[in-house]
Amino acid sequence: MTSSATFSPMSRRVRIGLVLALGALAAGCAEDAPQDMWQPAGPNAQSIADLSWLVFVLAGIVGVVVLTVVFIAIFKFRDKGQAIPEQVHGKPTLEIILTIIPALILIGIAIPTVGTLMALNDTSDTECVINVTGQQWWWEIDYPTQEGCGSGISEPIITSGQMVIPINTPVLVRGTSRDVIHSWWIPRLNGKRDMVPGRVHTNKLEADEPGIYAGQCTEFCGLSHANMRMEVIAMTPEDFEAWKANQIKPYEAPAADTLAAAGEQTFIAQCSRCHQVNGLEDADGDPIISRPDLSVYAGAAPNLSWLMTRNTFAGASFDLLTPACRADVWQAPPETVGEEYLEGVTPECLNSVQLREWLRNAPAMKPMYTDPEKLEATDGLVRGMPNLALSEDQIDELVAYLLERK
Amino acid sequence: MFTTGSKLLIGSAVVATITAIAYGVTQDGVMGTIGLASAAIVLWFLAVLNLFMRDNNIWADEIASVEGAAAAVPAPANSVWPFAFAFSAAVLAVGLVTYQAVFVIGIVLLLVTGAEWTAQAWADRASADLGHNADVRDRIANPLEFPLAAAIGIGIVVYAFSRVMLWLSKTNTVVAFAVLGGIIITLAFLFAYRPKVSSKAAAVVIGVGALGLIAGGAAAGLSGERDIEQHETTEGLAEEGVDICTSPEEFEADEKASQSVAASAAVAVTITLGEDGVLTYELNGPSAEGADAITLPRSNPNNVVFRNESGEHRRLSASLGTEVVEENGEEEERPFYMCTALVDDGGAQNITMSVALPSITAEDGFYFFVPGVDSARLDLFVP
Repeated sequence: MTSSATFSPMSRRVRIGLVLALGALAAGCAEDAPQDMWQPAGPNAQSIADLSWLVFVLAGIVGVVVLTVVFIAIFKFRDKGQAIPEQVHGKPTLEIILTIIPALILIGIAIPTVGTLMALNDTSDTECVINVTGQQWWWEIDYPTQEGCGSGISEPIITSGQMVIPINTPVLVRGTSRDVIHSWWIPRLNGKRDMVPGRVHTNKLEADEPGIYAGQCTEFCGLSHANMRMEVIAMTPEDFEAWKANQIKPYEAPAADTLAAAGEQTFIAQCSRCHQVNGLEDADGDPIISRPDLSVYAGAAPNLSWLMTRNTFAGASFDLLTPACRADVWQAPPETVGEEYLEGVTPECLNSVQLREWLRNAPAMKPMYTDPEKLEATDGLVRGMPNLALSEDQIDELVAYLLERK
Repeated sequence: MFTTGSKLLIGSAVVATITAIAYGVTQDGVMGTIGLASAAIVLWFLAVLNLFMRDNNIWADEIASVEGAAAAVPAPANSVWPFAFAFSAAVLAVGLVTYQAVFVIGIVLLLVTGAEWTAQAWADRASADLGHNADVRDRIANPLEFPLAAAIGIGIVVYAFSRVMLWLSKTNTVVAFAVLGGIIITLAFLFAYRPKVSSKAAAVVIGVGALGLIAGGAAAGLSGERDIEQHETTEGLAEEGVDICTSPEEFEADEKASQSVAASAAVAVTITLGEDGVLTYELNGPSAEGADAITLPRSNPNNVVFRNESGEHRRLSASLGTEVVEENGEEEERPFYMCTALVDDGGAQNITMSVALPSITAEDGFYFFVPGVDSARLDLFVP
């Protein structure tokens, strides 16, 4: 006799049910869940979480009541050979009650829902504007000139993948898209907002305390939709001012006769067609202007002026920091996370393995439409970064050059 | 020997087999061939099974059942649908190796003739009474045939009418429309006045009218469309090198321009020229106002709405550096402007700007201005 035969069929069902229930319970116990809307980190996300709890509790009560009545009906009135009960047609009083109760429940849910939606859509209290533009498969983030955002922004700042904001400041995200519909979602700071080509949609963000808040595109947007990530880095106003100053400082050319200097020339030859580095000049002293619109379907490629002030790249899909250094920044307490982030990428912390791999063959790391033989639909324009067939020496030079971009 | 139902399946299996071979020989890729071959195998299997079952859920050796089965009833021999179905399959096969349009027509014909053949075959098994079978067939097929025929008929009439209207001159279209409307109303009046008019007379009138329209549409379609006058636009004039964007004067492009903009969520920025001759702008949210420059994303269509509250006709122009144009085989660099048409006082107009280059490419940057109003200037950053 096998061991399973010692259990009755009922007890076996109970065991299976218990295992499933425990499995479902365990699934909600993830330690590292940075995109958890049930851990709101700002007033907008908090209002969504509060509303969700209200709906969840009410729906739970309704569910329990309905299932209880159903189970009672099933077990108490199951067929035991008794006579068929009297068949009646309708009970007006009961039907009216059973109509009014759900209507009242729905009204009870609708009032706070509409109120929350209206509050989330009200942008009149924002103190900082940041433009977000989605394209396959990364987010461009630019800070227009304005009096808001702390002490104001006198000249535009442009970055990608990681948005830096001051804490306790309502930020207005003005978003659009250059190709297909994308969706901006930082679960711990607010709900989703679709970014649609030709339209400008808004989303408010506010963080209560410094930290790194992860997000992801939530509208299927093509081959690498799953690799279109982003983060919001919230920091103290003082740290934010330091970050802004760093983003608009003048370009510093690498020292002559260094690997980085060779990398600058390689960058000009290989990368500057699409990627802009502000302040970069040619031999005649003329600014080098990228023309991604000539090669890329979306007409844009990430600005790499201060790449190493960020700690992710390629649509925030890969780390510029080694795992240990990443942990130092991402798991830093609120008091020091801004300071850690402002350190940027140091030579010791550079995740050169992933960066080199990316420069060696980007489409192998992140699926993109870059095969020259399959670009008829876009008249030869790529969607993503193609394989540039760089030599190992060129990769060494570029890494050295990019490492100074901070 | 062959039952009615098996004829359909055998025919379909033959078509699928031929098509699979034709596709496999003429086209790249194996998926289409695999799909068609799979269809052929399944259809052959069903055909053989159906033949063995004698169109019914009975065994072939059950003599009594076989003799009483519907398949035992001799089916009417004459039907146009097998031929039409085969023709459709041929059209589809030809389309596979020639033009996509032919292939699509083949699919449509195949579906229609297949449905008709199926309905016919199903009705033929209903009884030995041909009249009854015809009624059965009409009951199942007419609800599909009549709307489809009506849709096709309406489509032909509309298309033919549109060809005639596009062929006539702009003035004559009005005359033709009025005359045609008058004829239709007159005939309708006559029919209404004499409700006992014979259906034959009505059919003749409608038939003649439809034929006339189709013939006219065909003739007009062959003659081509009339020349449609293209109005000048500010964009077109600017591309031709006309200094419209720097001029406060009125051009032809200004006369035809819209003076209002529908409410839209897609506005990137609204720029207003006030009575004081100063440009102000408005973005979503109070935090977006107040700075003395606008920032717009690069390589992205940005809708900029210009509101004129200056009391005069004014246009909004944007200076976007320089552009290189080819003229007489030579490249020439000249200032690059975009602008609205002249906007009346109190009016508004939208301009969609997609700027491929950053503002640092222009020596004095990008900026909005209003020709004729020196004080109206607003810097534009494109990062």
